[in-house]
Amino acid sequence: MVMTDTSERHAADTSERRADTTRQRLIAAASHQFARRSYSMVSLDDILAAAELTKGAMYFHFPSKQALALAIVDDLNEMSRAAVAELLTRRMSGLETLIDLVYLQAVQNTQNEVARAGVRLLETVDNTTDLSTTTWQTWIEFVTSLIQKAVTEGDVADHIDPEDVAKMLVALWVGMRRISDLDRPEHYLDNLQKAWMLALPSFANPDRIDYFTQFIKRRHALAVIKVSDEPHPRDLNAAASARADP
Amino acid sequence: MAPQARSETTRQKILNAAIDLFGEVGYAAAGLGEIIERAGMTKGALYHHFDSKEALATAIIEQGTNLTLDAFHRVSQSSSPALENMIHGVFVVTDLVVTDKKARTAEQLTRGLAEFNSAASQVWSNRLDAITTQARRASAEGDLREGLDPYVVSESILNAMLGAQLLSKTADGDDHVNRLTRSLELLLPAIVAETSLAYFREFLAREYLRHPQASRSTD
Repeated sequence: MVMTDTSERHAADTSERRADTTRQRLIAAASHQFARRSYSMVSLDDILAAAELTKGAMYFHFPSKQALALAIVDDLNEMSRAAVAELLTRRMSGLETLIDLVYLQAVQNTQNEVARAGVRLLETVDNTTDLSTTTWQTWIEFVTSLIQKAVTEGDVADHIDPEDVAKMLVALWVGMRRISDLDRPEHYLDNLQKAWMLALPSFANPDRIDYFTQFIKRRHALAVIKVSDEPHPRDLNAAASARADP
Repeated sequence: MAPQARSETTRQKILNAAIDLFGEVGYAAAGLGEIIERAGMTKGALYHHFDSKEALATAIIEQGTNLTLDAFHRVSQSSSPALENMIHGVFVVTDLVVTDKKARTAEQLTRGLAEFNSAASQVWSNRLDAITTQARRASAEGDLREGLDPYVVSESILNAMLGAQLLSKTADGDDHVNRLTRSLELLLPAIVAETSLAYFREFLAREYLRHPQASRSTD
């Protein structure tokens, strides 16, 4: 009796694990395609060939290409939620948290294929679902809350509407990703830093600009190390002073 | 409730009673009888889980200092510059010691038993290792003064932490955070590279401003 019980449970575990791996293989293969080509150009056959799986195996998990794409966006949103939760436990100020988040996402969007495919899909799936509208709205609300916090902390000027700043920053972040070549992550990070340096004086309190300029440069330098294959940390001072003029 | 879960609840109840009593009267004056009474347990239940007062202290030291070490490690895992992690981590640990009864009692027991108890003697070297890892990274990132030994830098920071803890009035979180900040302000020019100094002074000032609320919550 006990034996049967254990072996049955064992069998269930194994098949569950196998199902998990199949799902992961599909997501990985699809992400690889969606990260590089537009949604309509990607065929299910390409994905299945890369995943070395049959259509039957796929339909068990995803009824359509669209379902597969939405699952990738869901995975991306889950990753972002986890990153935000983790960042909030650091209890840094609102504006520091926001900049940390921007750089975390920037590195993730170039280094992680699911994230990279997810952000691209977000821009194309909006014809048929409200997923991207909801996602942007969630981001704008979260960034607004961080800017509101930054106002009470004296980092952001209090005569500006936090929601306006949030919309501008989200647009800047999405737009910069869109116009940059993610295969050249250093170039993308450079664009991002320049845009932030230009935007910063429009909402930050003048006496905080020096600090946040340094704060951004330090994160930029670390992000560049992450996306490049450089084995050793780079001198943050040198990196910060080399780009003294944004 | 499953027997195992019930046993764990009993164990934690005894520990909580011990944390309260050690915190109030100190390790030496705390009697096992009073701990049993406060926990509402029998002597048998206590001895089932802990064979001595020192075993109780060891468990509290382990649980409480794991809280603070884990918090420091979590901060260290962030992708921020290492010297920022180090300063932020020191404050996060201090916050826990000020606001969390278990963490605070563990510090008190560690200080009292460090020479006699192996769990306690391990605490400071674990902490020193964690800080040194960040100091090495900070050195590679160019934020430490050239030629400084990251280990010695970490020792000084640990000394500042321990000193602030020893000298601050019991349960006065503000006093504790103030002392720590003053020591770090003095240490910064000695350990931080000239070009990074202004930035880290500002970083420390901001860190300090963030903490009064947290440290006042004990009152």
